Amino acid sequence: MFFIMFAAVLTAINVFGLFMVWQSSPTIVDEVFLMTTNGMLLKHYTRRLRPDQDEDILAGMLSAVQNFIRDSFDEAGGKLNEIRFENYDIVISHSKNVVIAAIISTKKPERLRTQLESATNDIEQQFGERISHWNGDRAELGEVDVLMKKFLAGKYRH
Amino acid sequence: MELRDILKKVVLLGDGGVGKTSLIARYVVNKFDDKYIATIGTKVSRKDIQMVKPDLIINLRIMIWDILGQKEYSKVRSASLSGAQGVILVGDLSRPETVQSLENFWLKEVRQVVGTIPSVFVGNKLDIADPESISATMLQSMAQKQGCPSMLCSAKTGDNVEEVFAALGEMLVADVRAQSAAKEKAKRPQTLAEVVDFIVHDFCVQYGDLEKAMLIVQHQFEDAGVDIRKPQKESVLQALDGLAKAEELSLTKTVARVNLEERQRMVILARV
Repeated sequence: MFFIMFAAVLTAINVFGLFMVWQSSPTIVDEVFLMTTNGMLLKHYTRRLRPDQDEDILAGMLSAVQNFIRDSFDEAGGKLNEIRFENYDIVISHSKNVVIAAIISTKKPERLRTQLESATNDIEQQFGERISHWNGDRAELGEVDVLMKKFLAGKYRH
Repeated sequence: MELRDILKKVVLLGDGGVGKTSLIARYVVNKFDDKYIATIGTKVSRKDIQMVKPDLIINLRIMIWDILGQKEYSKVRSASLSGAQGVILVGDLSRPETVQSLENFWLKEVRQVVGTIPSVFVGNKLDIADPESISATMLQSMAQKQGCPSMLCSAKTGDNVEEVFAALGEMLVADVRAQSAAKEKAKRPQTLAEVVDFIVHDFCVQYGDLEKAMLIVQHQFEDAGVDIRKPQKESVLQALDGLAKAEELSLTKTVARVNLEERQRMVILARV
């Protein structure tokens, strides 16, 4: 009886330990799309090389899907905040002129949401006005890299 | 030579079944399918065009939004149209009512959502309609009234399809060209010595390898007999041919030709 109890306690400790390790491990961002609210891609960052993927089309279609869902469910202009597909979560953050979509495969999208919102707000504050009048020249928004790299380096974690 | 990468959003609008999706398929992947499948929601495609101008190469990436043509779906359409920088209004030449609705419905919608943006009026299905038909005449006069170009094309045969997008492309980069021309005018050298200095610098920047580029310049100038302290137009023009040959190998023939023509123009106009 004692051994059974002992084994149960050990198992519980192991499970709890594993849970704590999982909890404390960082959320790994696979890809990030920085877009205008009209679905035009400003910047794309990826950890993986995907030669078959067209990031401009993906950004456009992400925006089109949002339009469709907004039209179907919410006439008051609601926002699509998350899409889940197989092992991937797409977490989306919006501001007046900026949309950031992050693709993660580590199953903890809630962790990322506040970081993504902070990054979106910072970009909106510093570049929102310029993005609203953007003429399509990506070289004009080079400095936005600084904030995006801050986000990718996990510096928005609290 | 300045290089600019520009991204623009273009939307195709027109009644259902006029051939918007077929036009995009013909333009982007050069394919045509006779089967009619109504577009559900929105589909985004992409096409890259390179425009070589004097002093400027523009790599234009057009994001083409194909939106469903059924007039009832106004909310999805408005959302997709938002932020568009150019629009292609497509009518079916064999159905005059679809041409009529370009002005009566679609253009009004464009003006309401994005204001006045570069627009091209297009009459599709030229393979089954007469270019002198009522629809074609109506399309031309309505485009003229709006101050926009109009074109007749066929997605089925591919006739004039490239030209439609090229015409809109030119309108989309007009501001970029104007900006670049103003910048270029402000920095343009005046005397022949300044022009030679500008050309040498420009050649080295475009060649990439400064050391090699300077050797080529030196060699070409020696061959043409350019006296760098007191250059003469004839010898400089001769040296330009040699530089263009080197650029043909390191860059492309088109870029080398555009560079040569522009540099020749600068030399001819320079003060001695």
